[in-house]
Amino acid sequence: MNFRRPPFFAATLALALAACDGERSGAAGEIVEIWAHAGQESERRVLREQVARFNALQSDMQSDLQVRLTLIPEGSYNAQLQAAAVAGDLPDLLEFDGPFLYTYVWQGRLRPLDALLPEGVQAGLLPSIIEQGTYHGRLWSVGTFDSGLGLYADRVQLDQAGIRIPDLESPWDATEFDDALERLAALDADGQVLDLKLNYAGEWYTYGLSPLIQSAGGDLIDRTDHLRAEGVLDGQSAVGAMRRIQSWIIKGRVDPNIDDAAFATRRVALALGGHWNYPRYSARLGDDLLLLPLPDLGQGPKTGQGSWCWTVTADSRYPQAAVDFLAFLLQPEQVLAMSEANGAVPATREAIARSPLYRPGGPLDLFVRQLEGGYALPRPATPAYPVITAEFQKAFDRVRGGAEVQSALHRAARVIDTEIKDNQGYPLIGRAREEALR
Amino acid sequence: MSKPNTGRRLNDQTAAGWLLAAPAMLGLVLFILLPFLVALGMAFSNLRLGSPLPLEFVGIKQFQRIFADPDFLRALANNLLFAAMVVPLQTLLALGLALLLNQGLRGTVFFRTLFFMPVVFPMSLIAVVWVLIYAPGPNGMMNGFLDLITLGAWEPRDFLRDPLLAMPALMLLSVWQGAGFQMVILLAGLQQIPRDLYEAASLDGAGSWNRFRYVTLPQLRNPLIFVVMITTILSFRLFDQVQIMTRGGPNGATTTVMYEAVQAVFTRQQVARASAMTVVFFLLVLLVTWVQRRLARQEREVA
Repeated sequence: MNFRRPPFFAATLALALAACDGERSGAAGEIVEIWAHAGQESERRVLREQVARFNALQSDMQSDLQVRLTLIPEGSYNAQLQAAAVAGDLPDLLEFDGPFLYTYVWQGRLRPLDALLPEGVQAGLLPSIIEQGTYHGRLWSVGTFDSGLGLYADRVQLDQAGIRIPDLESPWDATEFDDALERLAALDADGQVLDLKLNYAGEWYTYGLSPLIQSAGGDLIDRTDHLRAEGVLDGQSAVGAMRRIQSWIIKGRVDPNIDDAAFATRRVALALGGHWNYPRYSARLGDDLLLLPLPDLGQGPKTGQGSWCWTVTADSRYPQAAVDFLAFLLQPEQVLAMSEANGAVPATREAIARSPLYRPGGPLDLFVRQLEGGYALPRPATPAYPVITAEFQKAFDRVRGGAEVQSALHRAARVIDTEIKDNQGYPLIGRAREEALR
Repeated sequence: MSKPNTGRRLNDQTAAGWLLAAPAMLGLVLFILLPFLVALGMAFSNLRLGSPLPLEFVGIKQFQRIFADPDFLRALANNLLFAAMVVPLQTLLALGLALLLNQGLRGTVFFRTLFFMPVVFPMSLIAVVWVLIYAPGPNGMMNGFLDLITLGAWEPRDFLRDPLLAMPALMLLSVWQGAGFQMVILLAGLQQIPRDLYEAASLDGAGSWNRFRYVTLPQLRNPLIFVVMITTILSFRLFDQVQIMTRGGPNGATTTVMYEAVQAVFTRQQVARASAMTVVFFLLVLLVTWVQRRLARQEREVA
């Protein structure tokens, strides 16, 4: 039995500590408070260096502006942010995971960036960054990096099975992909040839697998006004795509990837994966590593996008100073430094051109072309996103376990629609409206 | 004992009694009663964390919703199943271990420490270790062990993703983790039983089973009642294992009321819905505890 207190207490304690921390501000000059998630060691180091460099630059310019960084553990980051927002304790500049943006905008916590961030900086950003940060016609957040999703492949195994190597212009279609799986399976010891990163679970299901649904013409929610999931998430196209994924699993083509090494040990020939998988895969497979687009299930190949991004809070006392720091983070050297630390796609064209991995012809060039070319769909821009993703994850778990696809998706769609209705379709009211019109 | 007598004695010491009870009472009111009343109030509203929409009184809608929600009903059923399996198993195991350790054999201290060790570790750590033990495929420890003892007849299973095995897998690890605590309490109870009772029973010709049945069990009744009650309450609070090992899956097979409530607040901001869940849950645990106490008390009167 469990003798520990539930983890709320830990979260509350951390919040209390964070709140105490905040009260020390305002000692001398302008202190811009920044919260970020404590990512990998390398990311934390780069961010700390960036803060130090920015502060040093300010001192050189005789400015008394200083930036103070607080790192918050990633696991409970969003829950802590929500609690701090309710308590009115948000900092000036805030980092959070992309698709949660819309909830914060609707709650009136954020301030639009488009009027604050220099036009030139905005113009240099990847379209996917702007797309994810836009809600109700205003730009609320920008990231210094984006994510890339693709299909990693083992060139040797594809050649042995005599499978054509696709690219973005001529991707595998559905039958070709199914056929490729069977041909690979015929040469494979256990018949498991595809890694869908099923071990990741959680947000990965939505991020990594909903592009397959979108490629088939379905989606998580109707994208025109984001008010309806029924008929879309449980529509013909979405159901068809999920049945296809389920058939791969049932036929035993998908490796459960429990050890997170299915592809790195060359146990499978194909692996759905993100930019973060590249360093390990390229170290193991070298020149045999291919990066391919996802299969085209009818409406062209689709992929995921979105990652951590920055936003200025509505109650910030120093919004311009916060944006100055953000503009500093978007300078090519800084974008490249962060991209080197976490391997993600640099968010600006200038940085991409100078990145050995992502420049045209570089090994990860495909990720950039996907983000630039409209292949990447942001996760739905609605405050209902947390419910959408939670329900989709549950539905996917059911489908994965062999449940009937139509009813699993229908159940998810109904819960999502009830949630939207309960929130009256998320009308732009109160502080959020004021901010959107600012 | 007559009634008026009892009443007067209480009256004599009422002031001191209240004074002594005050710190504990204050804690109970502040941290148990007040939050419960707040939760009760919120359960009849549409409260959401941070929502700009006006707060509304929605009557019993939240309760209607959760009782129409198959996930919540599944969670309730899982909680009951878990308690119904774990409480007897864990109590029996704890009793067995306590009896073994009470034999006064060599190495008692060593084994007592060993059995108690899982209680000291945080559940999150234990859960992570057991994820590795339950690893699917022939290389997983549990699969390997079952393969060994069935002489190769065992087909490797993915325990935590198997709709039939996921819950028993959580039960097994929970029993293993919790039994040490109950064992220590029962061991203390065993050591309080006077030796002469056993001697007298032996002189009367009682065998070891009869000594256990007519001396040990009756003498151990109070610790046993305590152990059963506390195990029941704790088993209803099943959360950490679910959060870390299965996230309620596969297909709701291991979800619990606590897990559903935490999900409602922290992934969906539905404070009112989670409050309704916790209110139902509190009443359920209260009911179970009350029934147990009544049964235990009746036993005492009969005895």
